[in-house]
Amino acid sequence: MKRSILILANVLFAVLFVCISATPAVSQMREIRIADSRGDWGYPNPFLHYPRGPGYVRMSWVFDTLIWKDQNGYIPALARSWSFDAENLAFTFILNPEARWHDGRPLTSEDVSFTIQYFKKYPYLWVTVDDIERAVAEGAYTVRIYLSRPYSAFLPDVGGTMPILPKHIWESVENPHTYNDPRAFIGSGPFIFRDFNKTKGTYLYEAFTDYYQGRPKVDRLIYVRSGKPMLSLQTGEADLANIMPGMADELRKKGMTVIRDERGWNKKLMINHRKPPFNERSFRQALAYAVNRQEIIDKSHLGFGTPASYGLLSIDHEMYNPKTPFYPHDAEKAGEIIESLGYTRGNGGYFEKDGCPLTFELLSSNITVAGEIVSDRDGEVIKKQLEQIGINVSLVNMEQATTDSRIKNWEFDIAISGHGGISGDPRILNEMISSQYGAGSVNSARYDIDPELNRLMEAQMVEMDQQKRKNTVYGIQELYAIDLPAISLYYPDAVAAYNPVKGICWFYTKGGISKGIPIPQNKMSLIK
Amino acid sequence: MKDGHYIKLTAVYFFAGLVMVYASYSLPKWLPGDFVTAMYYGSNVTLTAEQEAQIRACYPCQEGFSRYLLNLLSLKWGYSYAFLTPVSDLILEALPWTLLLFGGAHGASMLFGFIAGVEAAWRRGGWVEKAGVGCMTIMEGVPEMCTGVALLMLFALWLGWFPSSGAETAYSIYSAIERIWDMTHHLALPFTTLFLAYLPGNFLLTRGSMVMVLKEQFVQTARAKGLPPSRVRYAHAARNALLPMFTRFGLRIAFMVTGAVVVETIFSYPGMGTLLYKAIGLRDLSLIQGIVLISSLMVLFVNLAMEILYGIIDPRIRNAYKLPA
Amino acid sequence: MHISFRHELGRDPWFITGIGLGLVLLLLAGLGPVFSPYDPHDISFRPLSPPSADHWLGVNDGGMDIFSELLFGMRNTAGFGILAGFTALFLGVAVGLAAAWFGGFTDQIAMRLADVVLAVPSVMILIMAASLFRPSPVMLAVILSIISWPTTAKAIRSQALVVKNRLHIHAARQAGASGIYILARHLLPELFPLYLIGFAAKARMAMFMEASLAFLGLLDPARKSLGIIISFALKYYYMDIWWNWLLPPVILLSLLTMTVTFLVISLEKVFDPRLKEAL
Repeated sequence: MKRSILILANVLFAVLFVCISATPAVSQMREIRIADSRGDWGYPNPFLHYPRGPGYVRMSWVFDTLIWKDQNGYIPALARSWSFDAENLAFTFILNPEARWHDGRPLTSEDVSFTIQYFKKYPYLWVTVDDIERAVAEGAYTVRIYLSRPYSAFLPDVGGTMPILPKHIWESVENPHTYNDPRAFIGSGPFIFRDFNKTKGTYLYEAFTDYYQGRPKVDRLIYVRSGKPMLSLQTGEADLANIMPGMADELRKKGMTVIRDERGWNKKLMINHRKPPFNERSFRQALAYAVNRQEIIDKSHLGFGTPASYGLLSIDHEMYNPKTPFYPHDAEKAGEIIESLGYTRGNGGYFEKDGCPLTFELLSSNITVAGEIVSDRDGEVIKKQLEQIGINVSLVNMEQATTDSRIKNWEFDIAISGHGGISGDPRILNEMISSQYGAGSVNSARYDIDPELNRLMEAQMVEMDQQKRKNTVYGIQELYAIDLPAISLYYPDAVAAYNPVKGICWFYTKGGISKGIPIPQNKMSLIK
Repeated sequence: MKDGHYIKLTAVYFFAGLVMVYASYSLPKWLPGDFVTAMYYGSNVTLTAEQEAQIRACYPCQEGFSRYLLNLLSLKWGYSYAFLTPVSDLILEALPWTLLLFGGAHGASMLFGFIAGVEAAWRRGGWVEKAGVGCMTIMEGVPEMCTGVALLMLFALWLGWFPSSGAETAYSIYSAIERIWDMTHHLALPFTTLFLAYLPGNFLLTRGSMVMVLKEQFVQTARAKGLPPSRVRYAHAARNALLPMFTRFGLRIAFMVTGAVVVETIFSYPGMGTLLYKAIGLRDLSLIQGIVLISSLMVLFVNLAMEILYGIIDPRIRNAYKLPA
Repeated sequence: MHISFRHELGRDPWFITGIGLGLVLLLLAGLGPVFSPYDPHDISFRPLSPPSADHWLGVNDGGMDIFSELLFGMRNTAGFGILAGFTALFLGVAVGLAAAWFGGFTDQIAMRLADVVLAVPSVMILIMAASLFRPSPVMLAVILSIISWPTTAKAIRSQALVVKNRLHIHAARQAGASGIYILARHLLPELFPLYLIGFAAKARMAMFMEASLAFLGLLDPARKSLGIIISFALKYYYMDIWWNWLLPPVILLSLLTMTVTFLVISLEKVFDPRLKEAL
């Protein structure tokens, strides 16, 4: 026994000693490491990346778009300039003649028009090209895109989100969803894709030295998987990572720079508005009164968050309607509304109608801004709040995909869910409200029974004048907040930290990357 | 007689293997939702009904069982939807890490647990035994996730001696030897966590069975013959206490895939557990089937090997089959 | 004879510690809710308050009193562990003994069934169970024991094979004792230490599984248990929560497994028949 303990101790010390003395060699190359808790987000190409923010961002290093965004708004990318011809309903993009594909070939207007055609045939789900009539290459570096009908989200969608594909590679590809030949990763972006390790969840990119906006500031860009971002930052294994807001102070003390995003992600309460009692608008409003959102933030997220606008778009959005109806927490009022619907308080103070107690199921799963799974107490707190006003709630916590498929099939009462994209184009409102735009999303309320709301949603899509569109979007937010087919709960603080030693200044993009991705990995950080 | 026994044994295992193949094929299909649900429903893209149907067409329903079986036999394990890679490649990529972490920790804890257990039982009633049992019991009550996070805080954060995540420095430009150091460096914390988690069980089991063995006639005889104590302990007694240990080893193989998933998560260590967990989350059917199949076949195989080895370790077992029921 | 047992046990430090611990824990588990200063679901306190006179162990992130949580959680966890442990033990002993005794075909069927059950990853089973029907804690404990009986069964079987071939069993057989008699009179009691070990292992497994599932986000976080408390505390690993929030549930878990292990050790002497003869 004694001996074995001794042996054990010796071996442990030996291992320790060996490990400590093996300090990693300093790399000659300038590299940046970004940590992420999940790791795998698909191959970085338009058809293979996972349809979530981190997947798009990994693709965006390799494929450039016509225009891009930085802290302040739109900036030129492949297109040096762009203009809109309202008369002909056409956009003109003048391409940067220095743009090259990773295989050295020049990028021309042919590639752009080809990309649009290709996406018409094999849709890239992040953008809609349905309203584009045709794209005409006028000379090598000018492309005119004619719309078949007005399309208000054209610039953020086709301009700022659609990756341009090299014609010479994709014209012969007929199975883009399974094509993962090395040639499938030839883009025009600042980095060349080198490797994706599926089991380790790591990515390797190398700088594209001929990049038309200048050589990237680092030679290698590496994504690593780390379950403990704070530790990875402090041990130097990562230079940038999303963190929990509570870690910010500690990391600042250690010399890290902490950045905070605008409110681009919301947690919301999905309601099955097709079945009683939820089909009653006033009942949904009663729920809104009953839920104390500040308490959820305080008791489930240490106070890091802001109660959401009932109109989905946050105050940071330029089309946010400051007059969106508001339901301050008011348990009494909630009770009164429910009573007015014919419920009476039975024994134990719980509501009942015709002898049937008012009881329902609250479906909950654990999703967060960065797509990680972290259990929280949202469900617990909401259950408690609803019980306080006299509704019997059973909380059901399930795995994500299970919850999603139940919501999708309307097999739920109310459910907690969350999504981003709300800092981008207000088209998100349509997607999150109407089934015409978002039938395939569990986050969409799929609420189609308000004709006025439908009309406004239709109208905002075809209003090319952004000022006029703003009024329509105001209207949508107002009606949505009155009808409440889903209740936006709060915007959690999205915080990231980076090590300034590397000389890179990371930032959150205004309105989010591309369609509104609340992740601070904008490629411009490594360019300018 | 003896040959017949082994043939029968192999036949039974073969049938169990068939059952397992069917189970691995059909069980994952019970999971609610499918790949499209998991991949798209909560995502940044909002599909229209039409687009959804279109995507679903890209991931056709799986063929029937007979087809699946045929494909298996021709070593076609299918493609992972999410990774667009043959399932067998993914498994071969993840398995070595699992063997290294889980197998290593398991083997080491078994060895140390065994030696410590034998020594403790030999000194039954003494303070060494009491201290040993006390310590081990306390350790057994600490979940590995606590040990893991505590080790992380202590050695990665405060002392900075070890890295906090991964199996090696990703895309390092190291020489072979540096790379081995780097891997050991990364392995140390998760390995220690699992080692500490498995050690007490092995220790207590060995101690328990050793206590029983020590009372047997033949040990008393050996002692009486005046053989050196270490020889009595290991050559006579411990040999018999090996049996439960062996059984345990075979059983533990079954936990290889899921047993380390928490530790893999904490240390972001690659492995079969993480791969399976992700595959389930993504409803990547072929991948789930592949992992379930490979892990269950491994369990069966190890158990078959064990069964044959039992006979060698303890001749009395061999006779057990000959006795009338 | 009985008196000497009691005497023997009364002087055995393992037994005294085990019983003492067991009684305290049982008392805590049983009467915990009575002692509990607050409702563990009450979220009205200031989150993450340090320990104070009002809150002995402070308040957790959700504004709940940690001490009250522990008292309730302890009861749930202990109950969960005991239930899962007993069910798994029962299944395991039944299958293991049957396999060892009947041998041959029965043995093969039972053991291969065990392999098949063992080989299916438990995470998948639990997700499926959770989606097909909503498992209550009792149901979950039963599911866990259905997943985990094979290990006990195999351990029991391998030891039973050894015992079965001992001289006194052969002698009993030759003397014409019936199978049932030998099973009940010899095999069953002689393997007793293994039961306790098996029970301890299963109960521990169930309690740890509860923690792991919570950690992976697969368990209802609203039901208080030591595992849930641990997994929530670990979420805030970067804060000063180690001594008042994380350590107490870990200690309780440790004490629970300790109690069983100590009792196993002390009872080994009593239930070993050959030792009895020596007394």
